Amino acid sequence: MNNNIRALRTARGLSQEALGSALNVSRQTINAIEAGRYDPSLPLAFKLARFFALHIEDVFDDGEETLGS
Amino acid sequence: MWDLMSRLKSKRRYLIELGVCLALYVLAIRLSMLLLNDGIATGIGKPIAALIPMVPGSGMCWVIVRQFHRMDELQRRIQFEALGFAFAGTAIVTFSYGFLETVGFAKVSMFFVWSVMAVLWSLGMAVATRRYR
Repeated sequence: MNNNIRALRTARGLSQEALGSALNVSRQTINAIEAGRYDPSLPLAFKLARFFALHIEDVFDDGEETLGS
Repeated sequence: MWDLMSRLKSKRRYLIELGVCLALYVLAIRLSMLLLNDGIATGIGKPIAALIPMVPGSGMCWVIVRQFHRMDELQRRIQFEALGFAFAGTAIVTFSYGFLETVGFAKVSMFFVWSVMAVLWSLGMAVATRRYR
C-alpha cells in the first residue's frame, strides 16, 4: 500500500524517531511503513492519520478505485 | 512514550529478568545434580529433582512473553515470522534425523531439539529484520 507519511513527516520537520515516539512505535516501524515494506494495522493507520489531522484515505492509497465510482 | 530511553529501559529490564532466570537455572541444575548424584532424591523424588531446573526455565518463558507484550506491531510481526520459520525448520530437521535414526544414525538427546530451534529462530530473526529494514 502506498502512503505519503514521509512527505507529511518531513513537512513538519519530524524525525522518524520523533514520529514513532508520538505514536508509541519504534523508528524501524515508521521506516518500514514509509518504505512500503510494512502495512500498518488499522488502529495504527488511524493513529497516523489523526496525528497529521487527515483522513485515512488522504494518507494511505491502496491503488483501488472507490466502489460505486 | 516510545522514546529511546524507555526502549533502552525496557531492553535493560528484559536482560536483567532473563539474566536472573538464567542464574537461577544454573543453580537449579547444580541442586538437581546434587540431589540425584548423591542419592538424596529417591523414588518419586528422582523425577521431581530432575525437573527442578524447569522452574526457572518456566520463568524464562514468562520473561520472553512479557517482552513480546512490550513490542510494537512490527516487532511482533518479525518475531511471528521468525518463530514460524523456526517451528517449521525444527520439524524438518528433527523429523529428518528421526528417520535417519531408524537406519542406524546415532541416537541424539532431546536437549538438541531446542538448540536447533534457537539457531533457526535467530536465523529467522535476521532474515525478517532485514526484510523490514
